[in-house]
Amino acid sequence: MISPYERVLILGCGTCMTVCDAGGEREVSFLHSALRVAQAKSGNGTHTFSEYTLKRQCDPEFLDALGDKIADVDTVLSLGCGIGVQAVAERFPDLPVLPGVNTSFMGMANELGVWDERCAACGDCRLEETAGICPITRCTKGILNGPCAGTKNGKCEANKDMDCAWVLIYKRLERLKQLEKMRRYYPLRNFRAIPRPKRITSKTSVDVGEDNA
Amino acid sequence: MDSPVTDDTQDYRDRQTMKLSVDRSLMPPCQAACPLHMEIREYVDLVAQGRIMEALQVIRSGNPFPSICAYVCTHPCEDACRRCQVDNPIAIRALKRFALEFGGDRMVQSEAETTHGEKVAIVGSGPAGLACAYYLRKLGYPATVFEAHSELGGMLRVGIPQYRLPRKVLDTEVQRLTQMGVEIRTNTRVVSLDLLFEMGYKAVFVTIGAHQSLRMEIEGEESPGVIDGATFLREVNLGLKPSLGKRVAVVGGGNVAIDAARTALRLGAHKVSILYRRSREEMPADHAEVEQALEEGIDIRFLEAPTRISRENGRLSVTCVRMELGEPDASGRRRPTPIKDSEFHKEFDTLITAIGQAPQTPVDFGVRTGRGSTIQVDTVTLTTNRAGVFAGGDAVTGPATVTDALAAGRLAASRIDDYLQHRYPLDSKAGRESLTGDLQPETLEMIRKTGRLEPPILPPGARRRDFKAVELIYDWEAAINEARRCLRCGMGAEILFQDKCATCLTCLRVCPYHVPYLDASGTIQIPDDQCQACGICVAECPAKAIVLRKPYDRRHIDEELDHILKSAAQSNFKPLIIGFCCQYGLFGTGALAGLWRGAKASIWIVPVLCAAKVEADHMLRAFEMGAEGVFIAGCGEQCARENTDFWVRQRVEKVRRILAQIGLEPERLQAFVSTTNGGDPAEELDRFAERLGNLYLASIVMQEVKS
Repeated sequence: MISPYERVLILGCGTCMTVCDAGGEREVSFLHSALRVAQAKSGNGTHTFSEYTLKRQCDPEFLDALGDKIADVDTVLSLGCGIGVQAVAERFPDLPVLPGVNTSFMGMANELGVWDERCAACGDCRLEETAGICPITRCTKGILNGPCAGTKNGKCEANKDMDCAWVLIYKRLERLKQLEKMRRYYPLRNFRAIPRPKRITSKTSVDVGEDNA
Repeated sequence: MDSPVTDDTQDYRDRQTMKLSVDRSLMPPCQAACPLHMEIREYVDLVAQGRIMEALQVIRSGNPFPSICAYVCTHPCEDACRRCQVDNPIAIRALKRFALEFGGDRMVQSEAETTHGEKVAIVGSGPAGLACAYYLRKLGYPATVFEAHSELGGMLRVGIPQYRLPRKVLDTEVQRLTQMGVEIRTNTRVVSLDLLFEMGYKAVFVTIGAHQSLRMEIEGEESPGVIDGATFLREVNLGLKPSLGKRVAVVGGGNVAIDAARTALRLGAHKVSILYRRSREEMPADHAEVEQALEEGIDIRFLEAPTRISRENGRLSVTCVRMELGEPDASGRRRPTPIKDSEFHKEFDTLITAIGQAPQTPVDFGVRTGRGSTIQVDTVTLTTNRAGVFAGGDAVTGPATVTDALAAGRLAASRIDDYLQHRYPLDSKAGRESLTGDLQPETLEMIRKTGRLEPPILPPGARRRDFKAVELIYDWEAAINEARRCLRCGMGAEILFQDKCATCLTCLRVCPYHVPYLDASGTIQIPDDQCQACGICVAECPAKAIVLRKPYDRRHIDEELDHILKSAAQSNFKPLIIGFCCQYGLFGTGALAGLWRGAKASIWIVPVLCAAKVEADHMLRAFEMGAEGVFIAGCGEQCARENTDFWVRQRVEKVRRILAQIGLEPERLQAFVSTTNGGDPAEELDRFAERLGNLYLASIVMQEVKS
């Protein structure tokens, strides 16, 4: 991706991308080092890299702080989300901008290094009816009148580690004494089924003491 | 583009860099408790790393006579040590002694140049006087020490028994003073200060100690066979052998009483008893000394006091009374009161009184004295009522510790300097912020409990025979393990760049000690008095907002890598392997020393203070520098911190994934852990080097095939 460009600025984002450990200052340095190792390994690269991290990439005012950092680079490799990449592109019309992160979903960290998808930003929110549990993102099929026949012991047939969203919804409605919401039929909704990863884990399971050779 | 924004950005970066170079560590409780404010945490940490020579330097810079303190200091630092809350305090004094012995303190030479003309007289050669002479010479003043006895040292010489402070040690320090050009006049009792001024001295430091024993004020105190503790110890220490008879009693509960009793035992007394009017709890004597006295067979009789002494048939008949404890008195200890009709008689050959001492200031000195005949001084300037006359040590405070006296001597030297240079004396107390506060239960719970390792001592049977030093020295391994128990108070992590913090909660989640917390405003706080300085959050913070409080800790891995880059470029050995090795365990105990000598590669070691401080980025940087292989060696089960091994492996896996993407074999990066059961790290490393050697050869062959 970067091969056509000689001077590359790796640009981090100090807000969401830092929180989800994808494009904060530490990841920027890490990618910087990794690219340099890769170049040293191949032995024929001629790139020069620089790095900088903005507080936020998705607002033009923050981008002004880049100043002359971009004056002597050929491209910006943005570790912002898709919004950040586009914001940089918009602010600097003559500068090619590359996405350094493949933004997958909006989620939350259940524990350190484990993120679960929670919102599809679908613009058609049903959380009031589903007891605050989103069936669009948390049900593999994204169905509105669940559960389907594939639920087993409260788990999804597609992934035995994943809770069935509709079982969760049922249990919570029961607790809230709102089970009548289950009995309603929800009409068709306008959405396309997009295959989603549902979960990204940056943690490696290691057994302490085991030889890792 | 020359916009004001750019200048701002540059400014901001500069300020950040500047912030990073500032030492923001807090003063730990041990240092705050030390009368000399020695950098205890620093030298204990250096001992833990096996860097004994550097530890010695730190010790020497903060103490004029560390070898003396290493034997006799009452270590208030250990009482203040926060490890007390976990298990027992660090054995700081014993570690200092280890550092002095193994660091070669005896070889250290002291030098001083005379840069000032004003001569200073020091009256008395106790610890305060000697310390004052030492620092005056360092400041460039000619100094003369006047001593009434035949040898220097004051109480160090005539008060403290040899089994606690070998005279060789004292002689070495005195020798150094002579080397520095201190003029010494022994057998010279100063009777008038006017004479000193007439002789051309511009300032006088009066430090005559507190040698006069207090009287018990009971009938028969003047009988032959009754002797006061200070006189008794002085006679023994100056080489006399007073005949004591078989049964000896010592009255008192302080260190002098214990010293007198143990000395009497060593002079051949069959039975030595100590009569103390309160109970064990109130005893002002050092706990370990009391313990050792009991081991040696000294009988300590609590709640007993003599009321009358009479001499019959060459023996002392002592009438005693039993006591009980009432309400606390002014000193905070419970006041003893006699129990009615509890009198009883005991027979002794000798009775030694050791119930306290006071200074005896010649009236001709013309200095104002106060409570307990102590000399009155201004506590900040140490000046007396006479111009140019300063005073310090026991003569001012009443009987106190050697370290207090050394501190008084040092302060006096700088005050005399101020006086002679006509400077306004500055209050030296202004300085770093002190760390206070107890450890929280949830933090306390996570700290590994490792009991204190005491240095070996001579068995009681061997001690009773002569005046040999009772306490022996740690061996290398014991000292390092003891030093590693230090909690490193006040040098932990802090969010230095609050503006960068995205409140991602990573620090809160990775901390093994549950230290960071979210305050009511939603800001992360890392309380400085709880942090254990393991460095895990520093390496994990995605915003790089957290740093360690000491600049050295922040930089040193980068600096070591730079150093290797320069040195390795000049060496032709191939393949290059870079190892990040825990300096605490492997280096310190020497297990690592054999590692790279025998290996079949050019191995460069980056010593790190805990493998958990090695960031993923550091590992990549090592590869970038041209390393064929990189390894991280942690101390594993020995580690004094929690979870460090887990985080090393997390980062290793992260870097391995990147290596695979780049096209480098992931096995070029390895983590070794020293375990107590099997698995020799040296052998593992050898195998690692061999594998890398093969990879290296293969790559050369590949290149040749290509060309």
